[in-house]
Amino acid sequence: MGSFTSSEQFETMLGGFFEHLTTVPSIAEKLLASKLIIRFKYTDPDVVLVVDCSGDALEIRRGDSETTATVEMFMTADVAHRFWFGKVNLMMALTRKQMVAKGPVPKILELLPAIKPAYQLYPTYLRENGYAQYVID
Amino acid sequence: MRGGYAGLVLHIDLTSGHHTEEPLPPDVTREYLGGGGVAARLYLDLIGEGLTEGSPPPDALSPENPIVIMTGPLTGVKVDAVARWTMSSRSPLTGFWGDSNVGGHFGAELKSAGYDGIVITGAAATPMLIDIQDGTVEIRDAAPYWGADVYEATDRLTEDLRGGGGRGQVLAIGPAGEKLVRFAAVGTRKRHWAGRTGLGAVWGTKNLKAIHVRGSGEVPIAMPERLRVLREELKTLYAEDMLIEALTAFGTIASIDLGALTGDVPYQNWRTGFWAGVDELSSVAYQEQLLTGNATCYACGVRCKREVEVKAGPYAGVKGAGPEYETLCVFGSLCLNTDLPSIAKANELCNRYGMDTMSCGSTIAFALECFETGLLGPEHWAEPAPQWGDAAAIVELVELIGRREGVGDLLAEGSAAAAARLGGGAHTLLSTVKGLEAPMHDARGAHGLGLAYAVSPRGACHNASLQYPIEPGGMFVADVPELAVELEEQSSQGKAALNVATQDYGTFFAGCAVFCNLGARPLSAAQAVEMVSCVTGVDYTLDELMTVGRRVWYLKRGLSNLFGARAEHDRLPPRLMTALDDGPTAGGIPDMDLMLSEFYALRDIDAQGLPRRGVLEDLGLGDLADLLDR
Repeated sequence: MGSFTSSEQFETMLGGFFEHLTTVPSIAEKLLASKLIIRFKYTDPDVVLVVDCSGDALEIRRGDSETTATVEMFMTADVAHRFWFGKVNLMMALTRKQMVAKGPVPKILELLPAIKPAYQLYPTYLRENGYAQYVID
Repeated sequence: MRGGYAGLVLHIDLTSGHHTEEPLPPDVTREYLGGGGVAARLYLDLIGEGLTEGSPPPDALSPENPIVIMTGPLTGVKVDAVARWTMSSRSPLTGFWGDSNVGGHFGAELKSAGYDGIVITGAAATPMLIDIQDGTVEIRDAAPYWGADVYEATDRLTEDLRGGGGRGQVLAIGPAGEKLVRFAAVGTRKRHWAGRTGLGAVWGTKNLKAIHVRGSGEVPIAMPERLRVLREELKTLYAEDMLIEALTAFGTIASIDLGALTGDVPYQNWRTGFWAGVDELSSVAYQEQLLTGNATCYACGVRCKREVEVKAGPYAGVKGAGPEYETLCVFGSLCLNTDLPSIAKANELCNRYGMDTMSCGSTIAFALECFETGLLGPEHWAEPAPQWGDAAAIVELVELIGRREGVGDLLAEGSAAAAARLGGGAHTLLSTVKGLEAPMHDARGAHGLGLAYAVSPRGACHNASLQYPIEPGGMFVADVPELAVELEEQSSQGKAALNVATQDYGTFFAGCAVFCNLGARPLSAAQAVEMVSCVTGVDYTLDELMTVGRRVWYLKRGLSNLFGARAEHDRLPPRLMTALDDGPTAGGIPDMDLMLSEFYALRDIDAQGLPRRGVLEDLGLGDLADLLDR
C-alpha cells in the first residue's frame, strides 16, 4: 500500500499544487506555449487530473476522463509524489515502466524545462497548505 | 552453416606494400565473438611475440603499432542497430589501449567485400590509400589527397575510385591526423567517427590517408527463418518504445533535457552544478534553429543522426552532419556557450579536420579556464583573452588546434599533456582519466559512472561498458538479474558489482556483437542472444556470451597494463571529485575508495592494478598472464 489512502486527499493535494503552478508566470507561460492537454492517471489511490494548456489560460480539471488528451501519463500516487520532489529519475521510471507515457514524445520533452522550477515549489506548497507530513527530506 | 562472418581478415603491411588474407578461425570467434574482442586478440598476437622476446611495447606513433579494424557477426545484417564496427590500436593520446566503436556503412561494405576486418602494420614512406573492391586489394598513391579535409577527401575518393558496381565507402583522416593531433579521428560518410583515443594520428604516422571499400556480397545468415521471427517480434517492440521514438525525433540531443534535471550535464569545465543557459541548448531549440532532417546507419530504422543547416549569421553555410549530445555539451554547456550555430560550426570544423569533438571541446573548456586563471596568457593569445561563452573564440580555437597553430599546437597534444607542460596547478582543471577527457555525463549524478570512468581500459569513457545507459536509467535489461537491481544513482553502494555486470554484458553486447548501445536498447538479453545465435548458427547461451564479454574486458585491461597502466591510473581527477555547491548533485561525490576496493576484489585484481594469473588462466588468457609477469 502506498503513502496515500484517500483518493480525495491526494486529488486535493496534488490538484491544488497544479493549480498553484498556474499562478507562477514562468511555468504557466511555458505550459501554455505547449498547447497540450495532459491527463495524469494515478493509481493507489485512483485519481485523474487534467492539465489543459490548449486555451488562453491554464485549466486544471479534477476527475476529467472525457476530454481527449494529447498526452497521458500513468503512475502510482507515490511515484507522482516523489517525482515532484525531483526524486524520480524520469528516464529510469519510463524504462522500468514505473511511469508510462502515451503521446508524442517531442511534445513531452518540451515540457521538461517547464517542470524544472516546480521541484523547488512543491515542498513549500506542501508545508504552507497543511501537508507538511508528506515532505520528503 | 557458419553465418555472420566473411571468414577472412585482410593483413596489410604498409612498409612493404604487401597484403595477405588470413582466415578468421571459428575458435577465435567463439571465444572473442567479433568487433573489439577479436581486434584485441589479434593485436595481442601481433605484439606478443616481440614482448616475449623482451622488446618494449610499440610506441603508439611507431610503425610497429598495428591498427585493427574489425566488424562483428551482426555487422551488415539488415536489422536495426547492428551496423557498428570497431577500430583498435595503442592510443597516441593516452599511451594505453585505444579503441573506438563506429557506425555508418563502412563495416557492412567491408563484409560485403569479403573481409571481417583489416589489420594494418608498418608505415608507408609516402601518403598511401588502400582500395578494396570485392576481394581485389590495391595500395595506391594518396599524395593528391594529402592535405584535403575529410569532407573533400571523401567526395573526391568516392568519385575517383567509383567502380563498375557503384559507389563504395570511404574511411579517411583529415589534416589533424596528418599533423598527428593526439585526438585525431577517422571518419566515414562525413558523419561517423572512430573518434575517441586519437587513432587518426596512428593513421597519420603510417602515411595512411584513406581506405576505400566496395563490396557486392551478402552477409550469410545461418538461420534466416528464426531471424525473421525475431525481426517481427522486434518490430512491435520498437514501435512501442518511447525512447526509440525520442531518439528518432531528437537523436542523442534528447539527453540534454533529461540530463539537466538529474545533474548528468556538466557545466563550465565541470565546476558548477547549475547554468540557466542549458535551456537554450534544449532539443526543441536545436530542432528549431538547426535541424533539417535525419540520417542513419546501414539498415537502421531508428534514424538518430542529425542533419543540420545554419542559414544566417556568422556561421551561415554550415550544412550536413549535426552535433550529437556529447558535442553539444563540450562546445556548449562545458564552455557556457548558448550559441547553437557556433556549436554546429565547431562540430563541422572537427569533422573537416578529422578530430574527436569530445576531446577537442573538453580541451577548449580546459583552455578557457587556463586563460581565466592566467595559466595561458598574452603569449598564447592576443588580448583580450577568450572568455566563457565566447562563441567566436571557441570556433577559432578549434581551427587553431586542427592546424596546430599558435596555442592550438599545445592544445593538440590533449588537455593532460597541455596541463603537464603548463604546470602551475593546471592538472587540477583536468577531466581526464588515463589521459582521456571525460564524456558529458557527470559521475556526481551517478556514482557508478565514476568507477566506470576510472577502470575503463581506454580511460574516461561511458561506452566501455553499459554502465552509462543502465545506471541513469536509459536502458533496462530485465532478464539479467545483476543489471535489474534497484538503483540509487547518487550512492556508491553496490556500484562495483553493477560495474562488473555492465562490463561483462556491455563488452559482449556493444563491444563484440556489435549492437548499437543507443538503437538496440529495447532488446532483452534473450533477444540479443537469439539474434547472435540466428545469425551465426551457434546456439549461444547468455552465460557463454557474458563470459566472452568478461574475457575481452580482461584482455583490454591487460593490454593497458602492458602499456603501463596501474592502480594509480584508476582514479578520477580532482575536478570530478570536488562536490558542487548547487544543482541536482550538490554536496555529493562518488566514494571511489569503497567502489575500487570492492571492484578489485570482485575482479581479482591486485593492489598494483594487475589481474591475477588465476582469473586470466580461467578465461584462456594464460599468454596475457605470462606477458604481465615478464
